[in-house]
Amino acid sequence: MNVRLERLDRATVVIPEGRLDFDAATDFQKQLEGLFTSGTPPGAVIIDCGMLEYVSSAGLRVFLLGAKAAQKAGVAFAICDLKPAVREVFDLSGFSRVLAVHPDRATALGQGPGRT
Amino acid sequence: MTLTVVPGPVRRVAAAAGSPVQALADLLIVGRGPYARAFENLILGLIIFSVASIGIESIPGLPEWALSALHVAEIVVVAVFTFEYVMRLIAAKNKFAFIFSYQGLIDLLAIAPFYLVGLDARWLRALRLLRLLRVLKLQTHILETVVEERTRELAEKNAALETAQAQLKAELEVARSLQLAILPSAFPATPGCDAAARMIPATTMGGDFYDYIELPTGEVGLVIADVSGHGVPAAFFMAVARTNLRERAVHHIDPGECLAQTNDSLCAQNPMDLFVTVFYCVLDPKTGALRYANGGHNPPYIRRATGEVETLSGAGGLVLGALPGAKYPTHTVQLLRGDRLVLYTDGVTEAFNPAEELYGAPRLADEVHVHGGGTPAALVERICRSVTNFAGTAPQSDDITLTVLTWGAP
Repeated sequence: MNVRLERLDRATVVIPEGRLDFDAATDFQKQLEGLFTSGTPPGAVIIDCGMLEYVSSAGLRVFLLGAKAAQKAGVAFAICDLKPAVREVFDLSGFSRVLAVHPDRATALGQGPGRT
Repeated sequence: MTLTVVPGPVRRVAAAAGSPVQALADLLIVGRGPYARAFENLILGLIIFSVASIGIESIPGLPEWALSALHVAEIVVVAVFTFEYVMRLIAAKNKFAFIFSYQGLIDLLAIAPFYLVGLDARWLRALRLLRLLRVLKLQTHILETVVEERTRELAEKNAALETAQAQLKAELEVARSLQLAILPSAFPATPGCDAAARMIPATTMGGDFYDYIELPTGEVGLVIADVSGHGVPAAFFMAVARTNLRERAVHHIDPGECLAQTNDSLCAQNPMDLFVTVFYCVLDPKTGALRYANGGHNPPYIRRATGEVETLSGAGGLVLGALPGAKYPTHTVQLLRGDRLVLYTDGVTEAFNPAEELYGAPRLADEVHVHGGGTPAALVERICRSVTNFAGTAPQSDDITLTVLTWGAP
């Protein structure tokens, strides 16, 4: 799995690409944690899942950890553009009800702080 | 002078093992300290000088004083070589083997002509060139010894690592079998019900589990669950989740309430931020009424006696262990005689084949529809075979767990 970062004025967009399975989860977790521990504050954190094909339960856990870390840092945390297969996992696990999930990036950026 | 000169001191010195002479031999020949190095360099220098002097001596018309000087030098060289030979002999553990060794013979050939023929044996002294070769051979020998030593050290370290790894693997095996051992091996003897379950563990320790719970009301609780991630943390979390759920199941009849309390308890003891998806249902074997609650788990199937497959899609709640205070609605569904309940974990539907395609829920529903008419054990076997055949050579990344229950079977 590949992860790209886009730093905007008031937000950092994280773009995971491919399959977020058990093996990829550890790396993704480190990258997300790095956002909160590195010197520059990330602004709002938005995970753009437009390129994400698959999420396992271990991958789902990283989203939860990210949301918790963001809450602790007082930073807004949102997820957007879930593909149907990934959306299903979020719905099934109940994550789409406790995390801020938006249909696309523009909505995620526009709506400001989501529920975390 | 004759060769017999040499064995003389050998006998003497051999008798005086541990004497100062022996200590000196050990220091100069066997030792690796500065004295041994200096002595080695001295010998090397003398070998080169001695070979060069043979060339100089052959120059015609050399003045008398030069020849005399060369003769004196030759006597000194032979004296030192003889001293070295004796030292080597004393230092050697097996004297006889040393004398007839390649090294020993060359060293002897370098000095023997002097004792046999005297100073005139100039051309025989060319045999000393062999000593140069010996030095080269010695260097190679030292290099080989070092390489051998390093190789041996490496092999020892590898062996130690292998032992440690084997130990760790054995311990993980034990943990794995302990984990498997807490899964119920048989469904409680309940009139009108029959059930079968199977878990195919992934290569690493996973966190799937299923459970049958005999409730004081005469009802039967059925659990299927999947802890996020793998390894020892997942295994521990699984054990904690199972115990928590079991304890509450016995005291709280409502499945949703049972999940809510288990969730709160898990959130309070979750240092690794793991979570577990749980489907929990309670069957009344007298009436066939099934009450269930879902904490983020794949919705199970009901295969009606007619062959139709339905999904238990009543709204669920959040996975357990993620956030305290989560609510889990309880739903009720009526089983009819001959209906089958199929619970599974995502290891079934998310099994990949070598072409990276998912097994998928439709395939599973199809198997349940077509082959669900027999015993629970037969259906469990059938689905497991279907999934493993599909996955083929692709590595199994998640536990595959399946439970099938029939109600009112004749």
